[in-house]
Amino acid sequence: MRKSRLFVVLSLSFLLAGILAAGAFAAEKVFTIAYNEEPQTSDMQMTTSCYMIPMNVYDRLIECVTTAPGKSALVPGLATKWEVSKDGKVYTFYLRKGVKFHNGEELTAQDVVYTFDRMLDPKTKALNTDILDFVLGAKDRMEGKAASTAGLKALDRYTVRITLEKPFVPFLAIMASPQASILNEKFTRPLGNKYGLTAQATCGTGPFILKEWVLNDHHTMVANPNYFRGRPQIDKFVVKIVTDPETMRMLFESGEIDLFDCDFAMSQIPYFTSHPKWGKQTVSGPRVGIYYYTFNQAIKPFDNVKVRKAFQMAVDRKLILQKMFYNHGQLENGVMPRGLIHYNPNQEKIEYNPEKAKKLLAEAGYPNGVDMEIALVASTGSQWQKMSEIVQAMVAKAGFRVTLKQMDEAAFYATRKEGKLPMYTNKWSADFNDPDNFFYTFFGPKGTVARSYNNISPEVFAALEKGRSETDFAKRGKLYADLEKKIVIDQAAWLPMFSLKHIYVVQPRVKKFVVPWNGWSDFPIYETRVE
Amino acid sequence: MLKFILKRLLISIPILIGVTVIIFFLLNVVPGDPVALMMKEHISVDVVARVRAQMHLDDPAIVRYFRFLAGALRGDLGESYKLNRPVTSLILNAFPNTFVLALWAALFAWVVGIPAGILSAVKKYSLPDNLFMGFSLLGVSMPVFWSALLFQYVFAVKLRWLPVAGFEDWRYVIMPAIVLGWSSAGIIARLTRSSLLEVMRNDYIRTARAKGLHELPVIFGHALKNSLLPVVTVMAIQVAGLLAGAVITESVFGIPGVGRIAVNAIQARDMPLLQGAVLFETTLVILGNLAADILYAFLDPRIKAA
Repeated sequence: MRKSRLFVVLSLSFLLAGILAAGAFAAEKVFTIAYNEEPQTSDMQMTTSCYMIPMNVYDRLIECVTTAPGKSALVPGLATKWEVSKDGKVYTFYLRKGVKFHNGEELTAQDVVYTFDRMLDPKTKALNTDILDFVLGAKDRMEGKAASTAGLKALDRYTVRITLEKPFVPFLAIMASPQASILNEKFTRPLGNKYGLTAQATCGTGPFILKEWVLNDHHTMVANPNYFRGRPQIDKFVVKIVTDPETMRMLFESGEIDLFDCDFAMSQIPYFTSHPKWGKQTVSGPRVGIYYYTFNQAIKPFDNVKVRKAFQMAVDRKLILQKMFYNHGQLENGVMPRGLIHYNPNQEKIEYNPEKAKKLLAEAGYPNGVDMEIALVASTGSQWQKMSEIVQAMVAKAGFRVTLKQMDEAAFYATRKEGKLPMYTNKWSADFNDPDNFFYTFFGPKGTVARSYNNISPEVFAALEKGRSETDFAKRGKLYADLEKKIVIDQAAWLPMFSLKHIYVVQPRVKKFVVPWNGWSDFPIYETRVE
Repeated sequence: MLKFILKRLLISIPILIGVTVIIFFLLNVVPGDPVALMMKEHISVDVVARVRAQMHLDDPAIVRYFRFLAGALRGDLGESYKLNRPVTSLILNAFPNTFVLALWAALFAWVVGIPAGILSAVKKYSLPDNLFMGFSLLGVSMPVFWSALLFQYVFAVKLRWLPVAGFEDWRYVIMPAIVLGWSSAGIIARLTRSSLLEVMRNDYIRTARAKGLHELPVIFGHALKNSLLPVVTVMAIQVAGLLAGAVITESVFGIPGVGRIAVNAIQARDMPLLQGAVLFETTLVILGNLAADILYAFLDPRIKAA
């Protein structure tokens, strides 16, 4: 009798232990993805790509959230509210009280001042100073002439004032970009340039804490129980570094990763979208981004506007969108893609007319056609190569004899920086929701050379400067619409192609995955759920 | 012997310096700017100019080379341009992964290659011989990236026996070790077979058989020891090769080893990291060859005497 009682007690204990253990295992909600590039650092001031860590480990004064597919809004982040002076030069941010960094320190105005001053400090060697170089005293700080930045002030423990040299309308949108993430002074300062090189040398206020980082293998973030918006539902977020797209696909199909980003392997789109199981698991959204071809006006024959117009007309963009990208997108005709503030749906369309293109080419002095080059990066996947091969065949009808010039990535970017790269194709997705992010990037006085356009147009440069400071919303919209027409139609300075949907495939257990508004492969996963 | 080893080690110093000169020269000849590459689409000429100056990239090539050499002689290989971390620690952190992979690949190659070679030699022109030699030919001929994908598809995606990629526990080593070791196994099997067949034709083997010995003692007691001499040499060189040449396997299976570091460094024009990785791998190959020579001398006293 005693023995049987002991047996029952033991059995119940084991059962209970089993249930508890199972509960403990079941409770761990892990979300695993693959990313195709190793982030060089978690210090967002030191990198211009790989923002998966910054978007989940840090917060910004203002956040840009996805409100609907391809749509976004600026909402309070670490600042609960902000004020802008009438002249548009002084921004005052009121910080959320009680926000804790991962090391337990409370966020203060001094942390914000330190973060931005650190970016401008020449000792930091930051790559993202562009987002702050219009702050009062920034240039002196960057050149080492000042020990601090005049335009950055902590008014009290929770109030920050940022003064700009001149009005700069995109400033608030920029404050929501990952580069503007806020650091803790007490944690960061002693680490110097070692900050962000390991998980232990990383500290933010965000929903996830960087726990482990094995270079070239994976990094793991765990839920921050003290996050000011509430603990995330996902316990652990693992990012595996996988450079080979085939391996990435197999990892997804074997269930080892929860999300497959089709941007890393566009050729897999038809496989996944037509697959009986995975077809139902695709999640897609428009991206505020644009595919384009460039014209280098410093290289013949594209110094002639008629030749540029002829090339624009010689490319059947609709056919490329249909056949190569399976119609997962829409044609774009301007500089601003759909979803961007001041997007102009009435922008004049670029027609496809190879006959007219041939005539224009003859008028430009090339009746027998003309030789030209399209530069390609050999290592960045076959989609650019295929698209350019299609373009090569299309424009041949109009008389363009295209040579595809394969280059390695380093040579490509070095030649481009010198303004000497022939035509190339690329895509650009918004860093922040403002036309300046597109116009100034490509057609600003320095960008136009460093990106090998060489569209040296004082008229355009003046309009770009005006656009940066125009505070009247309607007037600003009109200014960019006019500028768009000038650049794309009158000057024919680039060839817009299309904006493509960003397609992801998720495992059935993943819920509420939100396609980021701008279509990046880096996204916050705070809202995502795992069953 | 000690004199021989010391002499070989001293010879390797100019080899290492020569390698650094070649790498430095090549990376300076081909166009590329590490800072422009770091910034890619977010390029800003002002930032590039400022950061280049801060990283002393605008100094004359000769100054940069001797700065590197002076550091290397002190054991400091500098900091990676892209990763901002000390090159030495990056390599030393990655090396254990490469070592584990190479070790298991070598073990696989030996455990499979030597018995297959012996069996093929003993049963020459039989079905097992053709089968083993067919497989070894396949291993030698099939590109690693292709066999890797096949293995991943069959054993990870379809059968789900093993993980696709990564490097967490022993299960992650099985596929890459087999894929990497297959080619070496093929070479060892073919070499063991031909070497054993040659030895079996010697007079002393005929004498052993004439004494009435069974076939097994003849093979294992008399023939094998002599036939393995060239095989052991190749094995030692192969280990060095496996340690230095697992680049593709590491990429496909996502193993954070030295090979991947080297490839990333080339792509990023990361001179200090590439120099460090190449120096490290060259040293491994030199040491591998030295080990092969020493082993040979121990196994064959005639060489030692010479």
